[in-house]
Amino acid sequence: MKLSTHVNMKTQKKRGLYLSKPLIMALSSALLLAACANAPKSPDGAVAARNRLVQLQNDPALASRVSVAIREADNAVTAAEVPMKDKAKSDHLVFIATREVDIAWAQAKTRQLEAQRAGLNERRDNERLESRTREADRATYAAAQARTEVEEARREIDELNAKETERGLVVTLGDMLFETGNAQLTGNAFTNLEKLSSFLNKYPQRALVIEGHTDSVGSESSNQLLSQRRADSVRQYLLQQGIASTRLTAFGKGESYPVASNDSTSGRALNRRVEVIISK
Amino acid sequence: MTTLTHSQKVTNRLKPGTSLITLLAGFLFLTACTATLPPTKEISAAEQSMIDAEQARVAQYALPELQEARSKLAEARTAVLNEEMEKAKRLALEASAGIKFATAKAELVKAEAVNSDMKKNIRVLKEEMQRTSGEQQ
Repeated sequence: MKLSTHVNMKTQKKRGLYLSKPLIMALSSALLLAACANAPKSPDGAVAARNRLVQLQNDPALASRVSVAIREADNAVTAAEVPMKDKAKSDHLVFIATREVDIAWAQAKTRQLEAQRAGLNERRDNERLESRTREADRATYAAAQARTEVEEARREIDELNAKETERGLVVTLGDMLFETGNAQLTGNAFTNLEKLSSFLNKYPQRALVIEGHTDSVGSESSNQLLSQRRADSVRQYLLQQGIASTRLTAFGKGESYPVASNDSTSGRALNRRVEVIISK
Repeated sequence: MTTLTHSQKVTNRLKPGTSLITLLAGFLFLTACTATLPPTKEISAAEQSMIDAEQARVAQYALPELQEARSKLAEARTAVLNEEMEKAKRLALEASAGIKFATAKAELVKAEAVNSDMKKNIRVLKEEMQRTSGEQQ
């Protein structure tokens, strides 16, 4: 009975098709329009997840590190994009898709940070190396400078004809510095004194004690005065050269400290002198 | 052909019309049966992920994300008790995805901390060097 009605309907349909072709066409186009108007839409959440996934895929530096996570996210998003009437199921699929995209992003950023570490390590090593190199350079430079200074000081002291004694470096300026019985400096004096003043300018921490000495010719008191004036002349000259007065002390020692016998001319010449003692 | 003969037999036994209703009911019962099984696999997978995440101290770096997943897992268990098996399965899957995200986020937070620490060290080295080279001048 059922079968027969079915067959009946089929024949009717066939007849209809033969009878009004234009009607069918109009109907089908109407259906097509209706389908267009009600075009099934992907859920908004799925669209958002797709956009974020595409954003990740478009960043090759990030995407290349997490191809597996991206594939999983892509599958989840594709599943969520299918329009469906079951809202709960759709919401569930959107949730999963969103999380999968979140996971892919987080993993990509993590991988990127990890990849940056090699560069950061290199930068740190370079900084360390540079810092150590500079430190070593500085030490070498300082040592070299100290060595040069010592050598230079030694050379200058040699030029001054200084003698090392317990009291310090002693430079003896001979009596040719002065006219006999006079405290005025002669031309000969200047070369020696110039060396002395430039030495003092270079080593500002060193002070001088200037001592005048005479031979035994003349009275002791006049020799005392003369030795003082001669020491003062030297001090005066050095003051004019810009040496601070606090660094310069002048004494007259008179005839009490001879370095040779006063019996001979040559001995007395050696005794007439100014000694400059350079503190260490 | 066989279904036809079967329905014919039914039609023979019962009043016509009731046959369709019985068939439908039977079909509904069958589909309901497949969903009444608790999603044991999904729930235990989520539970295992939760244990792993706790051991990896994910809560220290992604607490809100982990808590969201934890409550989804609890909801899944409640849904099983209420015999809402499809809902339970979905919640368990969402919990798993949430735990995976919390774990990934914790890794990211840790990585960020490590890198910013490294950058800070470099900056300190640089400053130190500038200071000492300043002293030299």
